[in-house]
Amino acid sequence: MGETVKTIAKERVDEITRQTAEPAWLKDSRLKAFESYLKIPTPCNRDENWRRTEVEALDLAALNVVVNDSKEKQAAKEPAVVTAALAHLGKKLPYIYTTPESIEVGNADSALLSKGVIFCSLKTALAQHADLLSKYLSAENLPQPDFAENDKFYLMNQSLFNCGAFLYVPKNVVLESPVLNILSSGEETSIALFPRVIIIVEHGAKAEFVNLSTASKKQAQEAGPLSLVNSSIETYVGQNAGLSYLDVSDFSGNTFAVSRVYNEVKRDGSLHSSTVALGGWQIKSDIQTNLKEPGSKSDIRGVVLGAGSERYSFNTIQDHIAPDTGSTINFRVALKDSASSAYLGTIRVSKEAQRTDSYQSNKNLLLGSNAHADSIPKLEILADDVKCSHGATVGPADKEQIFYLMSRGLSNLEAEELIVTGFFRQVVQSCPVDGAGDWINELVADKIHA
Amino acid sequence: MAALQPILKIEDLWVSVEGKDILKGVNLTINPGEVHAIMGRNGSGKSTLSYTLMGHPRYHINRGSILFKGEEIGDLTPDERAKKGLALAFQYPVAIPGVSVSNFLRASVKAVRGKEIPVKEFRQELKQQMALLEVKDEFLSRYINDGFSGGEKKRLEILQMTLLKPALAVLDETDSGLDIDALKVVSTGINTLATKETAILLITHYQRILNYVKPDFVHVFQSGQIVKTGGSELSEELEERGYDWVTQELTPSGVA
Repeated sequence: MGETVKTIAKERVDEITRQTAEPAWLKDSRLKAFESYLKIPTPCNRDENWRRTEVEALDLAALNVVVNDSKEKQAAKEPAVVTAALAHLGKKLPYIYTTPESIEVGNADSALLSKGVIFCSLKTALAQHADLLSKYLSAENLPQPDFAENDKFYLMNQSLFNCGAFLYVPKNVVLESPVLNILSSGEETSIALFPRVIIIVEHGAKAEFVNLSTASKKQAQEAGPLSLVNSSIETYVGQNAGLSYLDVSDFSGNTFAVSRVYNEVKRDGSLHSSTVALGGWQIKSDIQTNLKEPGSKSDIRGVVLGAGSERYSFNTIQDHIAPDTGSTINFRVALKDSASSAYLGTIRVSKEAQRTDSYQSNKNLLLGSNAHADSIPKLEILADDVKCSHGATVGPADKEQIFYLMSRGLSNLEAEELIVTGFFRQVVQSCPVDGAGDWINELVADKIHA
Repeated sequence: MAALQPILKIEDLWVSVEGKDILKGVNLTINPGEVHAIMGRNGSGKSTLSYTLMGHPRYHINRGSILFKGEEIGDLTPDERAKKGLALAFQYPVAIPGVSVSNFLRASVKAVRGKEIPVKEFRQELKQQMALLEVKDEFLSRYINDGFSGGEKKRLEILQMTLLKPALAVLDETDSGLDIDALKVVSTGINTLATKETAILLITHYQRILNYVKPDFVHVFQSGQIVKTGGSELSEELEERGYDWVTQELTPSGVA
């Protein structure tokens, strides 16, 4: 008898709940999400949100949900991927390193602990800080982003999340350097991981968070059946608070990655979020930012570098709910070979959100002759006193720039690479996470030369 | 002189852009270390000549040959030409946002010289040339030509020439858009560049720069051809009498 496949089913919800002895409210919340999950049809690429994806290629029934009872423990040795990231971001940063088999932590900062900062795996947080989390995770308190109602993958995560991280920064506490959460999805095929990351930055506090998703061994494109990494990331930026969030996805070639990011910003709070997507069979990410109170601001950036036949799909939603809110979006995509990308950017301004100031830019550089990019802006403006603009470009690298660089001895390929590096640097160099600019430039250079 | 192999020998060069003939039989020979000036009206085809020499893909050679150090380069890509020792200072250099001047200069010098230059050595060389061209340090961290003034762009072009030390530097209207102070500085750079190892082809519309850079030969360019060649005195005559004088002088006998 072979091993039983632990498919996506109610039994998995029960198992996860039992294993970690979760509070009753969380079980209710999971079961409610699972009921909705069952009712909703699987999306297909005819759905506007799933353009340019090959969601049909993912066989949900064949996936093996990772359920284990591993507990958070001190890392005996710093994992290589952590060391590589810290080389740029700063040594000795607190980190959580999660694989399908284990959760390791390192560089805990006792000074932060004494100020009431919590940075731990989600499992530990549920065991030790359940009350705090109930404010965000119980069914009645769940945020209602666009995808909450009808997104099968979001609901899948809400019912089955089984790893992840929690950062809590109390009122007026300022983190001077980032904390690091790393997921290494391993090299197994046909597995399903459901990470969930919750970041809470209270009134007047400041934090930097780096979320890196990678694979221990990069598989070649199109190798073997697909694995699913379905993440949910929620950030809550309090009044006058600030969060700089950096997300780097660099999966193996058999990973179908879906992520749902929900950001909420309160009065005069500010969120900076940079998303860097460097590899995976498919990366599909929705990023919704709700500017809930006057004076709240968000700065959302994205860098996508596709190669081979990688598929990318990013949807951003800026929801201006309150007056005097501001948002900027700057998403840049460069595609080699026959990689494809679809960007859908929504700016929504409610009737109350007067004096909204919003700007959205999406630029796509097509390097491969079979590369393809779509860019779709969507403005839904109900207020009458707003400043909203958007711009999009799709096209090959500028021929005059290439000629200029070639006339200085660079080959066509070297010229293109330099142009792409520059194209991204404009977005990442000013990333407020310390050291992130150089780190991303290096990751981009590595992939471009590959 | 005659025994020397010319750096550049252009013979009966015909070039078209998008089906339109622009160069109509250019002949030009440049020997090592010589300074040549090509003067002519706007639209006479001067810039087409410089782009063609560097290998811009938009320009098609329909007839004739370009021999660089005795080798036909008409089919080579721009980077191959650069590695052979040809360089072009652009009239309108493009901006490349996100790529810093220092990164670019290192990549370029490495590509052309065919080897990595130690950082310290490179910085020293760079500082020396920058001082000569009165270029500030902050130049290096700026993005290539991004937000540069006209004068800054031209200084960066000449700075690159002095670092690449080509066997032939083609300077396309390097003097245009410069005020008199900038012109002097840039001219100093050109004079430093002009050595036994580096020949110069200076393309210009005005005689002004030739007060600072003394050419060995002056060619008058008209309707896609060199129609008259002389010494540096020719440029003064042109300044005095205008391009019409050459046209009139040529009309009776006609130009083939």
